[in-house]
Amino acid sequence: MHPIAHIGALLTAAVLSACIGGKGTTASAPPPPTLNTLTLTVDSGPTAATGQINHGYVTVKVCAPGSQTQCANVDHVLLDTGSVGLRLVRSVLAAGGVTLNAQTDSQGLAIEECVSFGGGQTWGPVALADVTLAGESAAKLPIQILDDTGAGAAPPAACGANGTLLNGVSGFGANGLLGLGVFTQDCGSACVNASTPLPLYYGCTAAGICTAENAALAVQVANPVAMFAADNTGVIINLPKLQNANGDASVQGELIFGIETQTDNALPTTGLTVLGTDANGDFTATFNGSATVLPALMDSGTDSYAFDTTDPAIPVCTMGNLIFSGGYYCPPVAPLSVYAINAGVGVNNASNRVDFAIADPSATFVTTASAFIDLAGGPGSTNFTWGMPFFYGRKIYVGIDQRMAGAYTGPYYAY
Amino acid sequence: MLALVAMNALWAGPACAGLGGDAAGVAADGAELHGALSSTSLPEYEIDEITTDTGMRVREYLGRDGVVFAVSWSGPVLPDLQRLLGTHYVEYTTALATLTRPGLHRSVRIASSELVVESGGHLRAYAGRAYLPTRVPAGIATADLR
Repeated sequence: MHPIAHIGALLTAAVLSACIGGKGTTASAPPPPTLNTLTLTVDSGPTAATGQINHGYVTVKVCAPGSQTQCANVDHVLLDTGSVGLRLVRSVLAAGGVTLNAQTDSQGLAIEECVSFGGGQTWGPVALADVTLAGESAAKLPIQILDDTGAGAAPPAACGANGTLLNGVSGFGANGLLGLGVFTQDCGSACVNASTPLPLYYGCTAAGICTAENAALAVQVANPVAMFAADNTGVIINLPKLQNANGDASVQGELIFGIETQTDNALPTTGLTVLGTDANGDFTATFNGSATVLPALMDSGTDSYAFDTTDPAIPVCTMGNLIFSGGYYCPPVAPLSVYAINAGVGVNNASNRVDFAIADPSATFVTTASAFIDLAGGPGSTNFTWGMPFFYGRKIYVGIDQRMAGAYTGPYYAY
Repeated sequence: MLALVAMNALWAGPACAGLGGDAAGVAADGAELHGALSSTSLPEYEIDEITTDTGMRVREYLGRDGVVFAVSWSGPVLPDLQRLLGTHYVEYTTALATLTRPGLHRSVRIASSELVVESGGHLRAYAGRAYLPTRVPAGIATADLR
């Protein structure tokens, strides 16, 4: 009797739990962890703009607010740890069947934004979207629509005056940007109460007249991770080492949400360098023994180590097909061994020397590859930017402002 | 009263602003940015600095010949380079348009024998400068033009 009754009880329990949750777990077991990992791929880019190098892409699910049907999975969105906020190309959203409407200010004006990136600017409305990344979601997230079709107001004279408009897929070599830097909003308090509003957020009339205006924090384009219900302390970028010194065809790694919130995003107990940033999102770096202290960041959106240098003076490449706006360096004797010393700002004030090499890309790089180590450039740069080459073979932690993960509170970059 | 007259003169006509401009243009740039203007005089040139309560800083380097031979900037957004580069703006945008891979790089450098422009940074912290190599006073290092 006893064994049979036991089996019966077990069967009943199994059937019951199957009816409830389908997972066969008991009530006392912890809930399954949220899927917090997204595939991160370095490849040659979206079909409309191939030939990209050191661009790390993810796929982002975007829905019109509250809609289960007006949704698109947007591939080849560039992961950018050097900016904050999701920015998607309007024509790509339209092709995916998603229409997002511009937010309006208290006077009914459409809110649009102009953001400068290196040699150009983005322009387009701020809209709300339900955004899903792996198993995480942010509802009614303010994002920027990169208005390549000109459906919204035309940019004011000051936007686009600082270079070309980067609104199309070719602008960034991507269908959008996923900015997961160290802050919750892209502008922050500087755009809230300025007596003369910064030329970043604009209010645009139906006739298309746009005037710079302040924007409350809740209105500003925001870091989706900061808006997650959980796993919102920051992100980890985990890319493998490259296999070939002259370039890998493609690389696959992962973007992990949360720091110190699940077993897969725990901070290491030893060997971690945590670099706190200032209110601009910069720690400091000194290059190769120079006395000049530079603002520095870890930037997956920059394809090379990027810095200006006179000691050693490294010539910029003048031939080959890897010439771009910032200029790559082509050391006469390559690889050239150099180093930089990072230092954190504030309480997370670690210091760490990083030795790295600069190859001559014009001589040896395989032009059909998309992932390159030892690539440097950036003459004229006022920052020291640890671009994508620094990310290969390292776990990079990006801690969000005021979020605590273990012993560390953001904003910080760590490795 | 003198100051008022000067202001009227500034607003009356298209001042020669920014790079390659003159002292009146510097004052007009200050008004455009709603900034405070201060000057530092050095033997070879004068530095006119415009600062705003939003954290923008623009410096214009005025040579003894009365011509602005360099400008530099820093702040949470880029200043209006069309205004700041003055008559050299077209040369800048023309050079930009010829570049391949314009996308996501935090800095850009345009250099010719007539004009050097370096512009970079990221949200909340942009910086850059532009100068006219042939007009930089003898003995002045371009590294000092920040």
